[in-house]
Amino acid sequence: MTSTLTIKGLRVEVATKEVLRGVDLTISSGEVHVIMGPNGSGKSTLAHALAGHPGYKVLGGTASIDGVDLLTLSASERARHGLLLAMQQPLEVPGVRPIDLLEAAGADPTDLRVRMRREAERVELRPDVLERFVNVDLSGGERKRAEVVQLGILRPKFAVLDEIDSGLDVDALGAVARRLAEATTEWGCGILAITHFRRLLQELTPTMIHVMSEGRIVTTGGPELSEILERDGYEPFRAAST
Amino acid sequence: MKIFADSATSYIAERPDAHERQLAWTAFEVAGLPTTSDEVWRYAPLGELELDRFDVSRAPLARDDSAFAAQLGERAGLVVRVVDGYCTSAGEGVDGVNVEIDQSNQSLAGGTFTSRYEHDTFAILNAALAPATTVIRVDAGVNVAEPIVVLHVANATSAFSRTQIVLGRGASATIVEYFEGGANALVVPLSEYRIGENAVLQLITYQRLDVTAWHVGRTTGFIERDGRLRQAVIGIGAHYNRSRNDAEMLGAGSENELRTTFLGSGHQVHDFRTRQLHLAPRSRSTLLSKGAVADESRSIYTGLIEIEKGAKRTDARQTNHNLLLAPSAHADSVPNLDIRENDVMCAHASSVGPLDELQRWYLESRGISREEAERLMIQGFFYEMLATLPSELAAIVEREVTAVLAAVNVVAP
Repeated sequence: MTSTLTIKGLRVEVATKEVLRGVDLTISSGEVHVIMGPNGSGKSTLAHALAGHPGYKVLGGTASIDGVDLLTLSASERARHGLLLAMQQPLEVPGVRPIDLLEAAGADPTDLRVRMRREAERVELRPDVLERFVNVDLSGGERKRAEVVQLGILRPKFAVLDEIDSGLDVDALGAVARRLAEATTEWGCGILAITHFRRLLQELTPTMIHVMSEGRIVTTGGPELSEILERDGYEPFRAAST
Repeated sequence: MKIFADSATSYIAERPDAHERQLAWTAFEVAGLPTTSDEVWRYAPLGELELDRFDVSRAPLARDDSAFAAQLGERAGLVVRVVDGYCTSAGEGVDGVNVEIDQSNQSLAGGTFTSRYEHDTFAILNAALAPATTVIRVDAGVNVAEPIVVLHVANATSAFSRTQIVLGRGASATIVEYFEGGANALVVPLSEYRIGENAVLQLITYQRLDVTAWHVGRTTGFIERDGRLRQAVIGIGAHYNRSRNDAEMLGAGSENELRTTFLGSGHQVHDFRTRQLHLAPRSRSTLLSKGAVADESRSIYTGLIEIEKGAKRTDARQTNHNLLLAPSAHADSVPNLDIRENDVMCAHASSVGPLDELQRWYLESRGISREEAERLMIQGFFYEMLATLPSELAAIVEREVTAVLAAVNVVAP
C-alpha cells in the first residue's frame, strides 16, 4: 500500500525565532527526497519539528501521513504512525539497552537479537556495540549506524535522516546508503534525507532534491541539481528566495 | 527497652568473648539510640523504632531460600550463606578462596570493632551482637573467575551480620552481598573490605529486604596502593534503609568507584551516606548516586569527600541525581567537601528534578509511550549498577528490579 507524507505550510519557531516559514513537501512510499541547503536554513529544524522535539514550537501548517496530522500527536504516536527520525547527534540513554528500546518501541521480540545482528552487519557495525547502553561510549559514526539498525528493525513508513552521512568514513557511508536504498524497496520506506554531501546520493538515488534557504524550500529538481549545487554553491538559490 | 535489652545481655553472657561484647553493649547503653536532633540522624523516623519489637536470636532460624536467592546461588561460583548473622554454609571450595568464621572481634582497620565504631550506635550494636565475622579471603594473585555470592537472610526479628572480604596482592574477584527477609526485623549488617596492592574487588550490595524492615548497614573499603574497589549499592527494600558506604584510599594510586541507587515507594525512607577519605597521593574516587522516589517516600543523600594533606594529585568526584516521581515524594542532597591539600581535582554536583527531557524524547521518538520511556530510564539507573556483573547474573537481578518497578506508581510531575 502506498503512503504519502504531506507537509503543508509548516511554520516552526525555536526560541522565539521563526525558523521554518512555510514548508511544503510531499513524499510517497519508496521515494527518496533530499534536502540540501546552507547552515541555518532550517533543515534540522524541519527534522526535529516532525519528530516532536520539545524545543520546537509549531506555529502553523500540517504534516500528515495518509491524512493523519502528525503535529497533533505525541512524539511516540508519530513514530507509531510511521515516522522515524535518525538523528544527527543521537542521544546517549544510559542504562537502556538497544534491544529493550526496540521491544518497547513495538518491534517483534521473536529473534530480535538475530535481526539486530543482521542489520548491524549490513551497515558494518560491530554487533557487540548493540549490547551496550543506547549510544553510550559509541563514536559518532557508530551512533549513525546504530540509528540505521533501529530503522531496519522498526521499518517506518517514512524515515527522516538528519545528516546520516556526517561522521561516517567512505566505506561505512556506502554501506549505510545501500541499506537505505534497499529499505525503499524492501518495505517501500519513503526517505527524507538532509545532507551536505553528494556522496550519500551515489548509492541512494534521489527522486527529488530540494534546496532550503531561510526556512523555505526555494528550488526543487532532479538528481542533477546536486551537481549544480556542488559547482555553484547555494548562493544563486539564496538570491532566488528574496 | 526491656525485651531487647534482656535478650541481648543474656546472649552476650553466654558467649566466650562476653567481655569484649559487654564493652560494646555498655557503650550502646550509655549512648542510647540516636535522636533526630542529632544531625546525622535528622531524617530517620527514629520515633517509630521500638527496640522491644525485636529480640536477639541465639541460633539461625531455618527457612527455605527465596526463589531469587536460589537463582543467584545457581549462577555463582561460591555461595556463602549467612542466616540471622550466623554463617550456616561456607560453600564448596574454590581454589585460592577461604571462608573463615572469625571470633576475634578485630576490625580490618586494626583494633576491635568496639574501638573502631565507638561513635556509631548501630555499628556498636553489631559489635556487641553479631555472632561472628564471616571472613572471605582471596589469596594473592588469584583471579576468581566466577562471582561469589553472600546470601544474607534475616528470618529472626533481628540480624547482625558481619562480613570481611580480604583480597591479597594482585587478586581480583566479583562479590555480591545480597540481603533478603527482614519482615518486621532490625537488620544491622557491618562489612569491611581490604583491597591489597593492585587488587581489584567488584562488589554489588543488593538490599532487597521486606518493606517493614529497619536496615542500618555500613560498609568500609580499605584500599592499598594501586588497588581498586568498584562498589555498586542497590537499595530497594526496608521501611528505613540506612546505607553508609565509606572508602579509605590508603595507598598511592588507589581507587574507589562507588555507585549507589535506590527506588523509594510507599512511605519508605532511603538514607544514604558516603565518605571518601583520601590519605595517599594520586588516589581517585568517583561517586555516582542516582535514585528515584515515588508515592510518599523520601531520600537523603549525604556525601563527604575528605582529602588529607599530602594526598597530592588526588582526583575526587561526586555526583548525585535524584528523581521525583510523585508530588508528595521528597529528596534531599547534602554534598560536603573537606580538603586539606591544594594540589587536587575535586568536583561535586547534585540535582533534584525530573528525568532528562531530551533522553525521554529520544525514546518517545522511537514509538515508546512517555510512561514506558520513563520506566525504561528509571530501570536504567539500576541496570547501570549491574554493568560489572557477568551478564547471566545481571539478567536475573534486572528481571527482579523490573518486576519491582512495574508495581510502582510512576507519576510524571
